[in-house]
Amino acid sequence: MAGFLARRLAQALVTIFGVATLIFFLQRLTGDPTYLLVPETATPADIDAMRRSLGFDRPLVVQYASFLADLLRFDLGRSVIQNAPVTTIIASRVPYTLALAAGALLVACGIGIPVGIAMALWRDSVFAKALSGLVLAAQSLPTFWSGILLILVFAVTLGWLPPSATGGISHLVLPSVALGLLSMATFARITRTALLDELSRDYVRTARARGVLPGRLLGRHLARNAAIPVITVAALEISNLLAGAVIVETVFAWPGLGQVTVQSILARDFLVVQGVVLLGAFVTVALNLAADILYSVVDPRIRLTGARA
Amino acid sequence: MIRFPRQSEAIMTRIQHLLAGAAIALTVGLAASPSMAGRDRFVVDLVNEPSSLDPQVQWNPDSYYVYRNIFDNLVTRDDKGALAPEIATAWKQVSDTEMEFTIRDDVTFHDGKKLTPEDVVFSVKRITDPKFGSPQLGQFNKITDAVATGPNTVKLVTDGAYPALLAQLVKLSIVPKHVVEAVGKDAFNAKPVGSGPYVFADWSRGVAVTLKRNDKYWGKKAPFPEVAFRAVPDASTRVANLQAGSSDLGVSLDSDLAAQIKSSPKAKPLSVLTERVAYLRLNPSKPPFDKGDIRRAVAMAIDKEALVQGILGGYDKAVPEMLTPAHFGWVEGVEAPAFDPKKAKQIVEAAGPAGQQEIELSTAPVFDQRIVQAVQQMLADVGLNVKINMSDMASYLKRAQSGPESTPALSYGRWSCACQDADGVLFPLMHNSSGWSAYRNTTTDKLLEAARATLNQDNRMAAYKQVHEIIAKEVPLIPLYQSAIIYGAAKPLVWQPTPNESMFLNRMDWKE
Amino acid sequence: MSAVSQPLARRRAGPRWSLWAPAALLALLVVIALAAPWLAPYSPTQQNLLARLKPPGFVSRGVTYWLGSDELGRDLLSRLIHGARISLLVAFSSVILSGLVGTTLGMMAGYLRGPVETVVMRVVDIFLSVPAILLAIITVAVLGPGLINVIVVLALTRWPRYARVAYGQTLGVSNMPYVRLAAFMGARAPRILWRHVLPNIIGAMTVVATLEFGLMVLFEAGLSFLGLGVQPPTASWGAMLSTGRNYLATAWWIATFPGLCLFVLVLAVNLIGDDLRDRFDPRAS
Repeated sequence: MAGFLARRLAQALVTIFGVATLIFFLQRLTGDPTYLLVPETATPADIDAMRRSLGFDRPLVVQYASFLADLLRFDLGRSVIQNAPVTTIIASRVPYTLALAAGALLVACGIGIPVGIAMALWRDSVFAKALSGLVLAAQSLPTFWSGILLILVFAVTLGWLPPSATGGISHLVLPSVALGLLSMATFARITRTALLDELSRDYVRTARARGVLPGRLLGRHLARNAAIPVITVAALEISNLLAGAVIVETVFAWPGLGQVTVQSILARDFLVVQGVVLLGAFVTVALNLAADILYSVVDPRIRLTGARA
Repeated sequence: MIRFPRQSEAIMTRIQHLLAGAAIALTVGLAASPSMAGRDRFVVDLVNEPSSLDPQVQWNPDSYYVYRNIFDNLVTRDDKGALAPEIATAWKQVSDTEMEFTIRDDVTFHDGKKLTPEDVVFSVKRITDPKFGSPQLGQFNKITDAVATGPNTVKLVTDGAYPALLAQLVKLSIVPKHVVEAVGKDAFNAKPVGSGPYVFADWSRGVAVTLKRNDKYWGKKAPFPEVAFRAVPDASTRVANLQAGSSDLGVSLDSDLAAQIKSSPKAKPLSVLTERVAYLRLNPSKPPFDKGDIRRAVAMAIDKEALVQGILGGYDKAVPEMLTPAHFGWVEGVEAPAFDPKKAKQIVEAAGPAGQQEIELSTAPVFDQRIVQAVQQMLADVGLNVKINMSDMASYLKRAQSGPESTPALSYGRWSCACQDADGVLFPLMHNSSGWSAYRNTTTDKLLEAARATLNQDNRMAAYKQVHEIIAKEVPLIPLYQSAIIYGAAKPLVWQPTPNESMFLNRMDWKE
Repeated sequence: MSAVSQPLARRRAGPRWSLWAPAALLALLVVIALAAPWLAPYSPTQQNLLARLKPPGFVSRGVTYWLGSDELGRDLLSRLIHGARISLLVAFSSVILSGLVGTTLGMMAGYLRGPVETVVMRVVDIFLSVPAILLAIITVAVLGPGLINVIVVLALTRWPRYARVAYGQTLGVSNMPYVRLAAFMGARAPRILWRHVLPNIIGAMTVVATLEFGLMVLFEAGLSFLGLGVQPPTASWGAMLSTGRNYLATAWWIATFPGLCLFVLVLAVNLIGDDLRDRFDPRAS
């Protein structure tokens, strides 16, 4: 067990280091943010001076070394675009992204799980097929389209909900729905599979033969046993939700990590992008590690793969 | 504003309680009615959040819109675009290289301390200090010294005669010496103190910058007690916010979005012609543009009126020279090549294979893609082979300033020096010392240098007239139109936007 | 995860409408894409500034805009038909490219083990720890937008997904007696992978590829939304939809038709994928 843990931990560190390196060099393949910072009238000398003062004139290797040195001290650096420490920028955005992810998870589970249950109980029926088609349809819409449609219908036309930005829980509804639609099918599917698995077990057959009502069966035994895979998928789905948030947050002006990352990529704000990507990688790696460990403890036969990486 | 950690906890608890689709109903049920924006809290939707509130650290529209209301500048421009007093009440040229300013003596900073000539001197020296590293250094580094010459006078010394001095000083905000020296650069950026019509209240990162009205402001007071600036990157969402009444002012709309809010009961478009010129830049060192005839054919192929009336909804205005009437250096009656697609076609055909060479048209996502594609079509109509190359802004700018060898053959752009002076437009685009210039002509270089070094306005005008004429004849640039800026505003807002794209809240009014 | 025994998958025989209906729809779209130059009534790029934003059925200068015109007076129907080419081309090419690379590397890692396994799977881990859409945005921003670049970037960011599945499947298959026997008889690794491993895992890989296909269509659309898609004036459904968003109140047809096309395409592919998954891989989520 200790050996397994040590090996997985070492792998996790290698992964984090790899992500840091990949993102560092990938971003710097073409230029730096200097041109975006200076006014149009800046002369080539002005631009050079600015680049020097930002430190982008140093050789890449030197910049890389100083980035790694900072990273070892858990210092993500300072954004030259937003004029603030990267940790401050990220910290101010994390609560919003978590709130959005939670809202989306609520929507996805709230619809996906009942649909999954129905799909398992009425397996192969037209009703189940229609339901499964419906959740798949929800997954097939580009969010930047469904998002603006939601805004136009529920905020502009009906006036029920605020169109964008933050302010209270009502502001969270539309972006959560837009994002949650993407994951409904995943939850429906995993719930269905888990339930079907349980339904085929001996204890269920025995109980059924003895005449236990399906409702009681579902409430008492099945829910508990089938919940484990669903919860696991929920944990893994979080990283997918974070990725989907990139566009949803832009459409809804939701001040989460996704929005700031897209802006930072386009603004060549290297340090913010590095910070967010590293944080994301850290969370993903930690979740995977936790899941692996958990599963190797619970059931050594099972090997887990992500839903949609 | 609800604090988010608590909110997400609440959501987490609710997750445990749910099993059915009741989740959505629950959330909708909890929803408060949309916060009503209005006179008491005026909400402005910007594209991005400000990158700095220290007026000497970053100068871009989203930052400028906000901090320009916290700070006063040495001089300003009125709604028509003419230079006007602000902190300086008067100025006079003492010699070719010296100008003396009389400073208002009734201005106090938000912390109650009086604004003195020392603060003006400090502000100038701070932004011109290369060690400070302001991106705006290039706009002010002709100023070599600033001296407080009396209880309410300041003298600025420039490196040689500098005709654009006042135009540049429009962008110089006065910061309080005592505060900046006490708290340092970072703290000042996080909590700026100025003397303007609004006092900084709060910056909730990513969410909004909130300002409170300065009730002791020396000048015209603003109508709104509180103003919030939010970042709303998607233009469709900015329009939806206006239509839903959840914002009062939204920036950066195009003519088609303006048409959309025209039909809204809650919002209207507000527009003004700016000092921004849309242009095509040709690289005469790249074939086929090494041939003057082909460059002229390009100019003749473009129907500026079709662009302005057909696509831009008539908000913008076609121009024959690389300036706008808002600039010093605008010359009436300059004649650009007239729209003549037949003749253009003949020229291209006559050029043979040279006319068929692929021409790269470089652009970036921030520019109006309708215009870029229409230009491509117009050039294709006369037989030119144009391929659009859209890259992100950072790459676009890098290539645009890379000199004659790597500058794209053709690029679309919109130029503003925010100085309303020909020197800030023609010098960088034409002079061989500039990265933006792919054109090499010693005559224009000399004219531009001469116009920059004299205070004699007649001589300057004469030089710029010649430059305009050379551009029209040699076609290194094709001026297209004077850009309009279109805002979306709540119906009751009364406001005249300015050509230099400032957003002065205290010049607004609210009439229900 | 094993592809060998699936009690749930074997179901009643007979026509499977849930597979054939979406498959037929996809085939129809492919035919439209292939025949675009003959099907489209007009050029997809010919503008007419006098006929901007005209509703479906509008007639001008002898041109009938069956589905209306776009923001530059181009025929929306012709753009939709040509747009099918681009959207399908991007999705097919990126899926094939990433599938080939990912499957090959995954099989090698799973069969050869040792250092190959370590290197490949660590790189896979690295890629999979960065949200794919972010990686794609960063890479397109760096490489520049355009058809080829978008395809390359999507392939580049998605191959690890195939590699991980191929790796897991290969691990299972490699232990099967006849594969061991083949190795014992002296067959070389490429031959074993090609003859014995690949046929066993191709089903699972097809499932992944189908699910990825829908995602690729949406990714292309997302990149277009951020101004990082194919170059204008090329028509792709994603690009048309993202432009059309600005006209929902004034010219609904510009966004609605490409939006519906995208939706139908992705849904068809997702339905196929869902069905195939039931058949090949009942346990995968």
